Amino acid sequence: MKPIIEIDNLSFGYEEQLIIKQLSLSVAHGQFLAIAGPNGVGKTTLLNLICGLFKPASGNITIDSIPIGAYSARTLAQKVAVVRQEFVPVFDFTVTEVVSMARTPYLSALGFESEQDRKIVAEAMEKTDTARFAKRLLRNLSGGERQRVFITRALAQQTPVLLLDEPTTFLDLKHQVGIYDLLKTTQLEKGKTVVAVTHDINLAAQYCDEVLLLGNDNSFIIGKTKDVFSSQQIEKVFGVKTLSSELGEEKFFIPLGKFAKDTQRIFPKPPGS
Amino acid sequence: MRKQWLFSIIVFACLAIFVTISYNQDKASEAGPNNPPGRSVRIVSLAPNLTEILFALDLGDKIVAVCDDSDYPPKAKKLKKIGSFFKPSTEAVISCEPDLVITLWFPEQKAVAESLQRLDYNVVTVELQEMRQLAPAIEKISRAAGAEEAGERLNKQINIQLEQINREYRTTQKPKVLWVLQSEPIRVAGTKTFINEIIEMAGGQNSVGPTLQQYPQLGTETLLTCNAEVIIHSAMSKSNLAKEQKAAEHFWVKFPDLPAVKNNRIYVIDADTILRLGPRLPQGIKKVAELLHSQQ
Amino acid sequence: MSENLTVKNLLLKISICLVILLIVMVICIFIGPEMSRRVKAVLGIGSHSLTKTDIQILFQVRLSRIILAAIVGAALACSGVTLQAILRNPLADPYILGISSGAALGVIIALTCGVSFNLWFGSSISIFAFVGTIGTVWLVWSIGRFATAGSSITALLLAGVVVNAFFSAVIMFLTSIAKSYELRFIAFWLMGNLADKGKPVLIISSVCIVTGIIVIFSIAQKLNVLTLGRAEAKALGISTANIRLIGFAVSAFITAVAVSLTGLIGFVGLIVPHGVRLIFGPDHRQLVPMSALIGAIFLIIADTTARSVFSGSEQPVGVITAITGGPFFLILLAKYSRKISWAK
Repeated sequence: MKPIIEIDNLSFGYEEQLIIKQLSLSVAHGQFLAIAGPNGVGKTTLLNLICGLFKPASGNITIDSIPIGAYSARTLAQKVAVVRQEFVPVFDFTVTEVVSMARTPYLSALGFESEQDRKIVAEAMEKTDTARFAKRLLRNLSGGERQRVFITRALAQQTPVLLLDEPTTFLDLKHQVGIYDLLKTTQLEKGKTVVAVTHDINLAAQYCDEVLLLGNDNSFIIGKTKDVFSSQQIEKVFGVKTLSSELGEEKFFIPLGKFAKDTQRIFPKPPGS
Repeated sequence: MRKQWLFSIIVFACLAIFVTISYNQDKASEAGPNNPPGRSVRIVSLAPNLTEILFALDLGDKIVAVCDDSDYPPKAKKLKKIGSFFKPSTEAVISCEPDLVITLWFPEQKAVAESLQRLDYNVVTVELQEMRQLAPAIEKISRAAGAEEAGERLNKQINIQLEQINREYRTTQKPKVLWVLQSEPIRVAGTKTFINEIIEMAGGQNSVGPTLQQYPQLGTETLLTCNAEVIIHSAMSKSNLAKEQKAAEHFWVKFPDLPAVKNNRIYVIDADTILRLGPRLPQGIKKVAELLHSQQ
Repeated sequence: MSENLTVKNLLLKISICLVILLIVMVICIFIGPEMSRRVKAVLGIGSHSLTKTDIQILFQVRLSRIILAAIVGAALACSGVTLQAILRNPLADPYILGISSGAALGVIIALTCGVSFNLWFGSSISIFAFVGTIGTVWLVWSIGRFATAGSSITALLLAGVVVNAFFSAVIMFLTSIAKSYELRFIAFWLMGNLADKGKPVLIISSVCIVTGIIVIFSIAQKLNVLTLGRAEAKALGISTANIRLIGFAVSAFITAVAVSLTGLIGFVGLIVPHGVRLIFGPDHRQLVPMSALIGAIFLIIADTTARSVFSGSEQPVGVITAITGGPFFLILLAKYSRKISWAK
């Protein structure tokens, strides 16, 4: 089966300098891909290119065998759903109203939801345990609850591809795990392709199948998490020493800065320096 | 659903209030003056000078309603009112059941005129901005009201009076006049105004030369060098001329070198009555001429 | 607000509002001098009957005035709703983008040039006001787009401020050389006035405004999504540039028609959308038709108050809308200033 996302020689920059230079990769159906890298390397930019918000300076992106330029906004939204940082909308929409907006690419001319649309929305809300917030205003929820609502919306959009931009920043441990569990369930049960930009290497290692690690010098590595993630690689890309060890199939990484408590013990300085 | 009820209640509460207010006025208007009996020609006038013209044409008893500021002749004050000079009420005019409505030409009155014409009323619109338009206006009104002879007579009479004034006050020495409409900031009547016509008819000349604005604002420099021999202020209100006189004199104390100030020839007059472009125009001009040519 | 919005649900609410509108119209036709006599005549009580004059006043003068108030109220309210959605700013009103000075400029130019003609679809003043409004909107839109690549909302607002300032200066100059009666006319015209305009004008304006409102209703669901921001809207399948353009253009058009008819009546475009949003929620599929109807009702009531509160004279309707609108606006400001997210 052809990969659902194909990126060929992609280059893009906001001004003169190119942030992304000649990037090529492909994402197979039903994959859970993490995109990691230091700040400013272009993770969010790459996500925005894949969802069609930005136009590449050169190179091609193909979604489900069709070049991205050939999609209209509506048809692209039927293939790709995006979850960004949660926010409070300017106007007081309820949770149900926000999740229902996911059906926009499928609505008839008048813009009213059908029975079918309503069912899909209700199901998605059940799945993510947000049904109990159905009539509450979005601004009255906590950050974690709101993020779940936006993910619910993306699920109700019923797209084969789900893009997420740092879905667990600012969330507590319980919510972080909860959201990744949700995403993994979606991948496994519904066969969706999930691409998540993340800062959390450990969660990525535990949940994702492959990882795209972007480096500051326009370098990139893509491969299975256990192949890409290593202490040397992380130090090379992020400039941070880590203590790593195996945990089942995957490693885990503990970052150690200059003054972290265990750095001396783990990376002792040789005498005389 | 509850909020919708609340909203409906508010709407109806408001309406109830208005209905009550309206009902109270309703009672008041029912006790108002009765319309003249009989089915002779019913005329409505929308401006004070038009009212005066109608009375001068001997049509006074045919007038059924006038605008709020119609105050001359005194009989006019007792007539039914249909709104102000700038905001005549179409409704009020219609409820008088007029056969002839006389309006001025400027936009607010013209809009009412057009409204009435759409409802098939007989409306005569008259342009009355300059002195030379007075005679044609009187002719137009007299023709519309079927009083052509009275119109001719009135025009002749006015003409004779104006010529008399002209002869009496025609001098080679035309005193320079500054006619002030507003003192903060100073705005005066320029050369393209009706007031200017009056000044010249009364044997004077305007202290200001031609300006872009009809009623130019003058700076202190211009005032110092205008050499005005007579300064006239249009009073803001009719009631307290003495107070305004004091205020005007106080203002001009700053310009002691002006001939007008030196000779204490500062006058505050009720311009609204004096400058009405109607049958009393000659009397108004005469009053101004007397001010200009009196030596004080 | 808590029930799901269905077509049936919405039609029910619209019908109820429509009925209220009709009742308000009928009541307001009778409000004014000689009310009790006319009401009795219509109801057949006593021996009163309607005279020819009564019929003229009620059904030609007052009815056309009430219809005018209805369509202008609806136009301003809908325009307010749309602009608030597009600019993602609950404090937007139809005049926010320099429209007020554009209209005023058109009127002043018409007066000072001494232009005076009457076409079947409007007087010279109306036409110039309309052209002034549309011209200003086009100018602001162009400057806003030219200033940044892609339509940034801040650029649009700034362009509006600049154009407003420039036009105000021109207006000041023209006002200083205007004749006295022109000045007075301009001042009163700008306050808003609902004088009779004649049937052809009324019919064509109604058609324009109703069409505009229907177009806005057709993009109502998309407006919902648009309020989430450009990136979110695109991700949900909306071509934001198109919807913004349509919403903007149609709003400007119906506002221009309204302004050319009645001058600048303030606060309707601000208060009504908010009131409706507070009661019915922010879903534009509901907000648009309900704001139109309630805007109509509001302006009819305001106008009826304006002409009957002081017997004999008529207050400018803008005074009434401002008196009710001013305090309401302050409350809004207090409530919203904490959580306005100025659009990116």
